[in-house]
Amino acid sequence: MAPPTNKAVAAPRWSHTPTTPLLLWLGVSLPLVAWDTGYMLMRPHTMPGGSLHWPLWVPYALYGEVDHLYGFKQWHLKNSFAAAQSLMNLVESLMYLGYLALWYSYGKPAAPGGRKAVGGRVGAIAALLGFSAAVMTVSKTVLYYSSTIARPSDANSPTSTEPDEDDRTFDPRAPRSNFSLYPLEYLLYCEDCHQIRCPRCVTEEIVTYYCPNCLFEVPSSNLKSEGNRCFQCPICIGPLAVTSVETKPDPGLLAAPDSASPHSGPYALTCSYCNWSSTEVGIKFEKPNSIHAQLAKLRNGGETRLTAKEQKERRKDPSYRPQAAAQGELGEAEALDLETQFANLKLLYQKQLADPNAADNGLAALGDLGFSSPTSLSRIMSIYTGGSLQDKKPKSRVGAMREALEANEGLQLADLDESAAIAQLQDEGLDGTASTSQLADQPPNIGEVHLHGSDRFISELRPIPYLLRTKRSKRCPVCRHIISKPEAKVQTTRFRIRLVAGSYIPSIAIRPLSLSSGSSASGAAVPGALLEPLKPTHFLLTFKNPIFETIKVTLGAPAKTPGRFASKVTVLCPDFEIDANTDVWDEALKEGGERDRERERRRRKGEEGSGGGSNNNHNQLEVGKIWERGRNWVSIVVEVVPASLTVEHGEGPLREDEDVLEIPMFVRVEWEAETGGEDVGTAPSKDKEAREKRELAYWCVLGLGRIRQ
Amino acid sequence: MSRRPPRGEYIETDTGNKVARKATLVGTQNIMLGGKTVIMPDVMIRGDLIRTIQPSSQSTGGAPPSTTAVSIGRYCFLSRGCCLRPPGRLYKGVFTYMTLRIGDHVFVGPGSVVQAASIGSHVHIGAKVSVGELAIIKDYVRILDGTVVPPNMVIPSFSIVAGQPARLIGEVPEGGHEAFELRNLYKTVGNNPQPAPS
Ligand SMILES: [Zn+2]
Ligand SMILES: [Zn+2]
Ligand SMILES: [Zn+2]
Ligand SMILES: [Zn+2]
Repeated sequence: MAPPTNKAVAAPRWSHTPTTPLLLWLGVSLPLVAWDTGYMLMRPHTMPGGSLHWPLWVPYALYGEVDHLYGFKQWHLKNSFAAAQSLMNLVESLMYLGYLALWYSYGKPAAPGGRKAVGGRVGAIAALLGFSAAVMTVSKTVLYYSSTIARPSDANSPTSTEPDEDDRTFDPRAPRSNFSLYPLEYLLYCEDCHQIRCPRCVTEEIVTYYCPNCLFEVPSSNLKSEGNRCFQCPICIGPLAVTSVETKPDPGLLAAPDSASPHSGPYALTCSYCNWSSTEVGIKFEKPNSIHAQLAKLRNGGETRLTAKEQKERRKDPSYRPQAAAQGELGEAEALDLETQFANLKLLYQKQLADPNAADNGLAALGDLGFSSPTSLSRIMSIYTGGSLQDKKPKSRVGAMREALEANEGLQLADLDESAAIAQLQDEGLDGTASTSQLADQPPNIGEVHLHGSDRFISELRPIPYLLRTKRSKRCPVCRHIISKPEAKVQTTRFRIRLVAGSYIPSIAIRPLSLSSGSSASGAAVPGALLEPLKPTHFLLTFKNPIFETIKVTLGAPAKTPGRFASKVTVLCPDFEIDANTDVWDEALKEGGERDRERERRRRKGEEGSGGGSNNNHNQLEVGKIWERGRNWVSIVVEVVPASLTVEHGEGPLREDEDVLEIPMFVRVEWEAETGGEDVGTAPSKDKEAREKRELAYWCVLGLGRIRQ
Repeated sequence: MSRRPPRGEYIETDTGNKVARKATLVGTQNIMLGGKTVIMPDVMIRGDLIRTIQPSSQSTGGAPPSTTAVSIGRYCFLSRGCCLRPPGRLYKGVFTYMTLRIGDHVFVGPGSVVQAASIGSHVHIGAKVSVGELAIIKDYVRILDGTVVPPNMVIPSFSIVAGQPARLIGEVPEGGHEAFELRNLYKTVGNNPQPAPS
């Protein structure tokens, strides 16, 4: 670090002595570093409001505001960079201390009364230690500053990864914009982060599951075990009702399923929309209730099949096993349904897993490829069966597995004879085949033969159990606070928590403005009409303030819309204030005075515009003047010159929706709010009247209509 | 109903209902309006299709039989050319009509036919929609234009449905509840309509 300054005359050996500036520097910096490191490593207790904050770390409340790496912002973002820095500080300080300790304990005064100097081996170690620590200090500081500079000046949105994201003009046509634009109703707001939250970034938690048809709440413990009681038509997805087959009334007037009519005998599921009936696939029920259990036992055509439970019992039954095996050896095995085949295969593999030496038929080379080795198979099986097959004891030898050879081991020969299907296709034509969406709606594992060749025709489709719906609560992804929570009961529509963005940020209404002063300069003002290219058109934007504070709105819009056809945009008044959304009751009480106030406002507005009230249209199209203002709203004018959509020679044709005129607009809202007690970001103030400046800025897109081609 | 001398397009009742003179209300004594409901021209409400069998046959000596065919809550809006018709069904083997019950803030679009058993509150039914017999529509439901809701279908709260037959296509977002309010729309029609607030 420092060059040797004081050489002993008597000793020819090399020695080292710290200089005075170095000692001074270490004397100042070491306590400072200890202080800083203590703050960083003991967060959040040392942060404002923490138990250790007072009195030692009080100055950090201010510093944390200035340098966000130290403040709550990064703490909430779980930014570990600063903490890692502090850890390095600790190491570095220890090295300095070691250096000082070596010098102090081993050094001998070179001259009487002079400073201590260390020489020899110890001196070399001390110098090396000090030098390394100094290098660390330099590199760490450089790293810290470069990291601070590379960061956007104030990371407003914690999700933005690119530093320039906020500075660029938002392009509504960019492919990614589809994923970041939502109507205002879809946006939520986190009161703790003071940020808008969209459906894409909130985390959802299911509160209640229920059947959309009977509105029956399904306890989450029964979700897998109990099948849904209600069914949809496989042809048209209409609701199916249980009807008696024998006394089938006029199909247009189907009895409701709960009708206590004295019908008996077989029942069927009938669609009230397309008149499909489960009798068409040969399914009839003995009882009008517990349809799901009955359906699980019925094959198309009315044959019974064993449910998974019965099969399990049957497999346990020792008297059945050899019999089934004998049947399997008889050659033409019966067609297995999916559950049976799966159970048979599972049994086969389980047996081989239990005894790894049982089968080794020379396929060991393939074991390396990952399949047919017991370990990888047990891994795959554990994915599907929930870990019950997890092979816990480590296998020294990875052998290959034998595949199923018989039906009772799960072998299912593919039925490649499609002549029956071809004949049916010739018979019924394309109309008889099921559409992809119908096939996609079909429930899986419903117990039919096998996937080969099945479910291709409408006549094979089975009733679809209704998918359950859910009520969900939503959390802020950053601070994990709940920002939307419905009541758990299915029938109520109330919410316990519902922080929608619409009650925090101003809404924007767009209306074409007709300047009916006879001048032909203004374009069509009919809502929904096509915009004339190259003709200046005016739109009225009405901003409505939902909060109980006066807000200051600053708008920023590009002079030309992004895209191939750039329309010119001028926001005549990009800077204005909107009065607070006073209480509805205040307004109701002031109902009588409202009109006077309105008149007064209009007059004031007229004065604002430099002329009289009669010819106000021209006055108010002045730059910097608002058009109209009300209790909690302000209207401003935007002038647009739509682009001409003529495609230049050699350019591509007009793409879909390229004629839509959309303005990206940057909205910045500022207001003063009372500092809430839960707002930990500010220093705890004893003054309850303390006001805090708040700011919210975001891009939005205003769709004005289509341009005439 | 109205004793106002100037004959406007609408009859405005004491409870704030605005009924167009050109609307066809059959069996008005069986139609219950909750108040502040708008019925536009060419609307038909079939109040004549009343229940012929009372549900509880035991209580024969009890209250007089209810003859309400259509019951409508407050701030409902029935657009031009829509039709409300009580649904019919077999009850113990005999055919009878059932009461059609509609909650508050229900919008029925032009040309739609409603034969539901019940419609909750804050429901928006678009244009040219058919709501089949005995369908049940819960609160905060939006039915888009041209939808055919099959008979007996149940549409749970916060559903957005469309298609023939009706299919769930989305959920009403948390911030979309206020859009079902019809108070402002109520003010825009009548004999002295006010312009919609901007
Ligand atoms: Zn988001
Ligand atoms: Zn159900
Ligand atoms: Zn159907
Ligand atoms: Zn948050």
